[in-house]
Amino acid sequence: MTHYLLRRLPSALVVLAVASFGIFAMVRMVPGDPVSTLAGPDATPEARAAIRADLGLDQPLLTQYVHWLGQLAHLDLGTSYRIGGQVKDLVADGAVNTIVLTLTALLLASLAALVCSVLAVVLDNRWVNAALSFGNTLAIALPTFVTGLVLILLFAVVLPVLPAGGTPPDGFIARPDIAAQYLLLPAVCLALGAGAALTRFLTEALRTEMRQPYVTTARALGISRRRIVLTQALRNALPSAVTVLGIQFGTLLGGAVLVEAIFTWPGLGGLIEEAISGRDYPLVQVLLLLSVTVFVVIQLLTDVVHAWLDPRIRIGGTGS
Amino acid sequence: MSESLLDVAAPEASDPDDQFDTRRRPGIWTALGRGKGLAGLILIGVVVALGLLAPLLAPHSPTEQIPGANLVGPSGAHWFGTDEVNRDILSRTLYGIRTDLLVVFLAVPIGAAIGILVGLVSSWWSFTDVIAQRVFDLVLAFPTLILAIALTAFVGPGLRTVFFVIVAVELPVFGRLTRTSVRTVREMPYVEAAHVIGAGSLWQLRRHVLPNSLEPLLVQLAVSMSVAVFIEGAMSFLGLGVRPPQPSLGSLIRDGVRNMYDAPYFAVGPLALVVALVLGLLLVSQALAEARRR
Repeated sequence: MTHYLLRRLPSALVVLAVASFGIFAMVRMVPGDPVSTLAGPDATPEARAAIRADLGLDQPLLTQYVHWLGQLAHLDLGTSYRIGGQVKDLVADGAVNTIVLTLTALLLASLAALVCSVLAVVLDNRWVNAALSFGNTLAIALPTFVTGLVLILLFAVVLPVLPAGGTPPDGFIARPDIAAQYLLLPAVCLALGAGAALTRFLTEALRTEMRQPYVTTARALGISRRRIVLTQALRNALPSAVTVLGIQFGTLLGGAVLVEAIFTWPGLGGLIEEAISGRDYPLVQVLLLLSVTVFVVIQLLTDVVHAWLDPRIRIGGTGS
Repeated sequence: MSESLLDVAAPEASDPDDQFDTRRRPGIWTALGRGKGLAGLILIGVVVALGLLAPLLAPHSPTEQIPGANLVGPSGAHWFGTDEVNRDILSRTLYGIRTDLLVVFLAVPIGAAIGILVGLVSSWWSFTDVIAQRVFDLVLAFPTLILAIALTAFVGPGLRTVFFVIVAVELPVFGRLTRTSVRTVREMPYVEAAHVIGAGSLWQLRRHVLPNSLEPLLVQLAVSMSVAVFIEGAMSFLGLGVRPPQPSLGSLIRDGVRNMYDAPYFAVGPLALVVALVLGLLLVSQALAEARRR
C-alpha cells in the first residue's frame, strides 16, 4: 500500500510544481495592474514606483517566485493588497465556511442516496422506481442556480420559514439550532446533484448484487429481501460507492462556489471572485494553488482507496 | 458499431440469401422522431425560435429605459414586468436567449471539433497519445466552475471568456471520447486488414475511425450543449459572464435574485427558458443514447 502511494506521489508533486509556477506567472501576465488599483488614478510616478518596490513587483519574475515559495514553506502567505489583513486569516475564515457547507452537503447526499437506493431495491415497486427515477433526472438536469433560486423563492419569500442567505450570526457551535436553519437551504441545493448521481450509482450496484448466486441461495432459504439488502448486498456494494463519493466531493467543492454566491455564504468562492476582480495577487495565487492542491490530493486519495479495494491495481501497472 | 459488425458476421441462419446483407441498421436519427427525442426537439425548437425571432417579438429594445416603469409587475404592457432601471424584462429575456444560443450552437461545436481533431491525430501515435492524455486528465480533474474562475482570472470577464471556458472544457471531453473510439476501431479486423494492405494512417482515420465514432460523439454533443447552458448561467450569475447591459439568461437570473423581495416575478421567465433548453437537450441526448443501445 505504502509502495503504491510512493509510486503515485512523484507525478502529483510534479503537477503541483508546474501548476504553482504557471499560476504565479500567469497572474502577473494578466492585463491590469494592482499598483494602479492601489495608488488610484492621480498617483505620481514616484508614488507608484514606491508601491511597486514595496510589493516586490520590481524584482525579476523568477526571484519573486522563489521568494513566494520560501514564504509558503514558512506558511507566511503574505498580506492581501486590497482587502487588507493576512491572506492566511482570510483564507482560513473562508475555508471554514466552505468546508462546513460542503461536508453538510456530502452528508445529506450520502444519506439521501443510501435511503433512496435501499428503498428502491427492497420495495422493487414499479411506481416507487418511476418516482425515484423522475426525481433523479430532475435533480441532475436542473442547474444549481435554478434549484437555488426556486428553494429561496419557496422557503424564504413565499413561505418565509428559513433565511434566504448568510451565515448564522452566532457561529456554528453556540446555537446549533439556528446554524442548522441557515445551513439547510444551501446544503440541500448543493447536495441535490451529487445525491442524485450517488443514488443512481448505488441503486445500480445493489441491483447487480441482488442478481448474484448468494442472494438466490439466501432467498431460497427464506430470508427476506430487506434483510438480504441490509446485511449482505449493501456491505458488498458500498466500497465502490466510496470511490464515487470521493469524486463527488471534488464536484461539491466546485459547486460550492456557485451555491455560496446564491445564498451569500461568505466562503472561499466569494473570496476568489473578490480577489480576481481586485487583482489581489497574493490572494489569487494562494486560492488557485489551494484549489489545485485540493484536487490533486482528492485524485490521489481516490486512486489510493481504489487500489486498496482492488489489489490488481496495487500490484499491476503504474495505476494510470 | 460493434452491433452492425455482428449483424454482418452472424446473419440469421434461416435466410441464406441475406448472408451478405450490409444494409445499415436504422440510424439513431429515428429516435428524434418519437417520444423523448421529439419532446426534446420541440422544447429546443421553441426556445431557438423565440431567440431567433427576438427582434420581431420583443416589444422594446433590450436596453431601452421606459419612463415611469420601475419594477412594475407583470401586466398587459409588460408581460414579465420591468427591472430596476425601467427595462422591459420580456424583451431582455428574448434577446438574452440569443447569447445562450451563440454559446450552445457555436462554442460547443468549436470545442468539439478541435477536441475530435486532437483526439484523432494524437491517439494514432503512442508518443503524442501519452502527452494528450496527461493534459486531458489535468483539465478534467478540475470542476468546470473552478476552471472557469481560473481562466477568468487570466483573461478577464466577458462573453469571450465564456466562449473560451466552454472550448477549454469541451476539448478534452471530446478528445478523450474520440481516443476511446480510435482504440476500439483500430483493433477491428477490417482496419487491421486495411493496414496490412498498406492503407495510410490518414486514410484509415477518415474512412473507418471517424464514421464509426460519430454516434457516441453525437450523444456527447447534446450533453455538452446542456452543460454549456449551465456554464453560461453559472458564469453570468457569478459576474464572470456577459457584461451589462448585454442580457443573457444567466445574468437575468442573477438580476432576479438581486430584486427577489421587491419583484419575485423577475426571474420566472428566464428560469423557465433555461429549464426548457437544458431539459430539451438532455431529453435528446437520452433518446440518442437509448437508440444506440438498442
